[in-house]
Amino acid sequence: MRHSACRFQFLQLKCLIKMKRFDMKKLTFLIALLLIGTNVIMAQVPKGDVLIKNGTVITITDGTLENTDVLIQDGKISRIGTSLKNRNGVTEIDATGKFVMPGIIDAHSHIAGTSINEGTSQVTAEVQMGDVVNPLDISIYRALAGGVTSIHLLHGSANVIGGESETLKLRWGVTDPQDMMFEGAPRTIKFALGENPTRGGRSRGIQPQSRMGVEAMLRNSFKEAQIYKQKWDAYRADNSRRKVAPKYDRRMETLVDILEGEVLVHCHSYRADEIYMLLNVFSDFGIENLTFQHANEAYKVAPELAEFGAGASVFSDWWAYKLEVYYSTAYNAAILTNNGVTTSINSDSGELIRHLFHEAAKSQKYGGLSDEEALALITLNPAKQLGIDDRVGSIEEGKDADIALFEGHPLSSYAIPVMTFVDGVKYFDRENDAVDQRLSVDPEDTIEDVHIFDADEQHKCMQDAEITNLYDFLNK
Amino acid sequence: MRMKLHLNYVFKLAVILPLLFISTDLMAQSDHTGQAYPTRTFAITGATIVQAPGVVVDSGTVVISDGLISAVGTDVVIPKNAEVIDGSELFVYPGFIDGMSNTGAARPDQMERPDDLFTPDPPNDYAGITPEESVLSQIDVSENSIESMRKLGFTISHTVPYGRMLPGSGAIILLSDKETTYDLVLKQDVSMFTQFSGAPGAYPGNTLGIMAKWRNLYTQASLSKDHETLYASNPGGIQRPTQDRALQAFYPVIDQAKPVFYHTNSMLEARRAMKLKEELGFSLVLSDLEEGWFMTNDLKDSDIKVLMSLDLPDEPKESEDEDKTDEVAHLEQRRLQAYNQFLSQYSEFNEAGIPYGFSTIGTTTNNIKGNLERLVASGLSEDAALAALTTNAAELLGIENIAGTLEAGKLGNAVVTTAPYFEEGSKIKYVFVDGDKFEYDTSKKASSEISEEGMDVLLGSWNYALSSPQGEQTGEWIFTNEGGSLTGMMTSNMGGPDMDMNNLSFMDGTLSFDFSFDAGGQSVEIVVVGDVSGQEFSGEASIAAFSMSIPISATKVPN
Repeated sequence: MRHSACRFQFLQLKCLIKMKRFDMKKLTFLIALLLIGTNVIMAQVPKGDVLIKNGTVITITDGTLENTDVLIQDGKISRIGTSLKNRNGVTEIDATGKFVMPGIIDAHSHIAGTSINEGTSQVTAEVQMGDVVNPLDISIYRALAGGVTSIHLLHGSANVIGGESETLKLRWGVTDPQDMMFEGAPRTIKFALGENPTRGGRSRGIQPQSRMGVEAMLRNSFKEAQIYKQKWDAYRADNSRRKVAPKYDRRMETLVDILEGEVLVHCHSYRADEIYMLLNVFSDFGIENLTFQHANEAYKVAPELAEFGAGASVFSDWWAYKLEVYYSTAYNAAILTNNGVTTSINSDSGELIRHLFHEAAKSQKYGGLSDEEALALITLNPAKQLGIDDRVGSIEEGKDADIALFEGHPLSSYAIPVMTFVDGVKYFDRENDAVDQRLSVDPEDTIEDVHIFDADEQHKCMQDAEITNLYDFLNK
Repeated sequence: MRMKLHLNYVFKLAVILPLLFISTDLMAQSDHTGQAYPTRTFAITGATIVQAPGVVVDSGTVVISDGLISAVGTDVVIPKNAEVIDGSELFVYPGFIDGMSNTGAARPDQMERPDDLFTPDPPNDYAGITPEESVLSQIDVSENSIESMRKLGFTISHTVPYGRMLPGSGAIILLSDKETTYDLVLKQDVSMFTQFSGAPGAYPGNTLGIMAKWRNLYTQASLSKDHETLYASNPGGIQRPTQDRALQAFYPVIDQAKPVFYHTNSMLEARRAMKLKEELGFSLVLSDLEEGWFMTNDLKDSDIKVLMSLDLPDEPKESEDEDKTDEVAHLEQRRLQAYNQFLSQYSEFNEAGIPYGFSTIGTTTNNIKGNLERLVASGLSEDAALAALTTNAAELLGIENIAGTLEAGKLGNAVVTTAPYFEEGSKIKYVFVDGDKFEYDTSKKASSEISEEGMDVLLGSWNYALSSPQGEQTGEWIFTNEGGSLTGMMTSNMGGPDMDMNNLSFMDGTLSFDFSFDAGGQSVEIVVVGDVSGQEFSGEASIAAFSMSIPISATKVPN
């Protein structure tokens, strides 16, 4: 349920309900009220009933349970125990010899999105990735085949303040973008520091062209949002019947929501100095919810991150592709975890997303994290960073049945994902894996036997934001 | 005796004839062009008249007089001054209505990119946000498209302007032959036209920015409207409203008095338009829809209106390779399934009770008749196809009281064919627009925009070279004869994809076409225009986004 619908209710029904985080009961009631007005039909997402029997269940929060059954009803984990009875005659899956773990959550992804960057302006808090979700992207299926059940579809990193991102569940087969939304997930937004936004600024002749400019733009934006909020608060408090509303601006509205703690900020960053800068800016403006993305030098400021309560979502071992990413280490995730920072490992790639379990395993070689700590990097921790840990990230009664089955322990080099469930519905089964999974085919497709290059496997953080020159135009 | 009668007869003629030759300019000047038509009254007798889909009059008469249909039926009195057309072998249909197109509009020159362009906040006209503009400023009575569409039986077009995100309002025009723009206009300012086309290198650049900009504009307009209303009732103590013409253009949309025609080809684009409608509440017409089958259920019980595209995909051809692998065979099968699904969506909508008109905005004129035939061959009932061309379109555009059927009192718009319209080989002999008759030669093959000789000059392969600042870009143009009409495609030696030539035209030695491709989320269009002499072509390729032209030349490869 998007907060934005409430805004328009404000204009039409003068609804002044503010959506604070997050009392589920109150939220449901408020949603019901608004639904009557907006005629929005909540997406009817498929929910399943399954009994997964006799597997080694890695709960993440309550240890590993041998020979344990997981009963799923109406898309939720209803019971975990041994020798559960199948009273309702639901489908049984024999998980003997297999590992049952929570579906993997990728906190940094650009699959399933038609556009990634609105790079023509450096502050675009008004745009939403929810507008460009593409449920037909075959990368969704490939991610499911890697045990991933939820992704955080991020705006790109071309802008200092980018657009709102979207948390999605990988329900392969739906064609309505609405049906992929992780219903009830908190709003999140993308910020970016360092070389990406400054390169964008330099090529367009606008601010920011240096890290000084990045900080200035952050402070200016928040200051402008505070002034905007003052004007609108004054307008609402004004009881006169002859009052004129101040200028409306969705960009400012979203920035105000960030200041009020209603939007979780995920900030692309690498260098310790800029990480530290953002902590200062956020402290100055009283914003508490923050996760750093990539944060290759986060290990240098791990205690400061822990003190602030900020999270970090990092690569396992990817660096040196840009000057700002040189001073890195594969021990990053482990050092952060040991310093009490909520850490996750992400893919930022349509290729890496397929083996995030291996990426997590690297933290055992580099840093000696325990099995549970390592698996938390791709399950419970990204769930916390996305504010969905009450719903997913571990196998506990009452949580959503987003589950992945593995042959071989997920952290083993020999791990093979064999089944993936979202809301108790099986979306991937290695035994029944049709070759052609495409949902939509172009009737004017040229069929060639040769496959040379797949753009999906590239990192897409700067997609759509490049200044194209004539050479690129004609050679695309 | 005979002498007297003769004089009598001559005397009567001398009085009557001048009355028949009334021209609008009653200054006693004789018509020096000889163009004024002797009558505006026509009677087509003994014809098969299809008054509306499913309503047929055998061997009936239609009388068109002074711009209107004055009578239809079997017992019709033919006025004395009527030009009588023997309809015993002919079929008469209501004039076709194009739900949305650029017919009659001339594409304006591209705006130059300002040197000091501030990309986050460009001027509205550069960004393509000009909803206050009207298509009438682009309409040019001498545009070829009017004649091309009329030849195909279209008598009315809802024409929308060229542009980017919000080019302006559309107008309903008659596809007649007139001297001034306003003589063509049936209704102006009937729609707000919009599409997912971003500003060139500035905000909003792609779908993300466009969606946000739409919401912002609409909401700001709503507040601005309230402000203006308050100020108008009593301005004392109220800030003076700013006169933002772009926002003011939204007022009738907010009042639901003006619908939004959203150009949405794909399912995803249509869903985004529907999302905006759900949030903001305007009247929506999904226009030029190509992937409707995904949304049949959602559209069934909604108030969203639909114009289906007439641009059908080419029929896929299977490879004749005997060593074809299983994989290739499977891919071809899925492609064929996709093709059939595309074609069957028209019947599917019909069966689901979703009325739709047609939009020709993305369709090459030469393909229209063939595509309609293909639809009927694939299972769409002729009545449904005719409804889309006439009654449904009229209702969607709000002109059903004056157009869409052959009934007395409606506009004199009709199409007269030599055989039932959907029959292969049937030709259009007459088109009546606004009560004026246009006649076409049905004896030889219908002339296309490219003559036989023209085709011969072009058919085959040409090696082209584009002299860009970065060096020469080369490739091939391949022109082929597809069932009588010329189609073209260009390849690139630099690794780029093959591209179809759109709006291909070759007249009086001038070749022109355009093609577009996706460059990082933005659609870029390149227009090529130039002269052919012998085996050589020389011209210019203009790139809209960078408002620049570069020379392009081509040499024909000897057969």
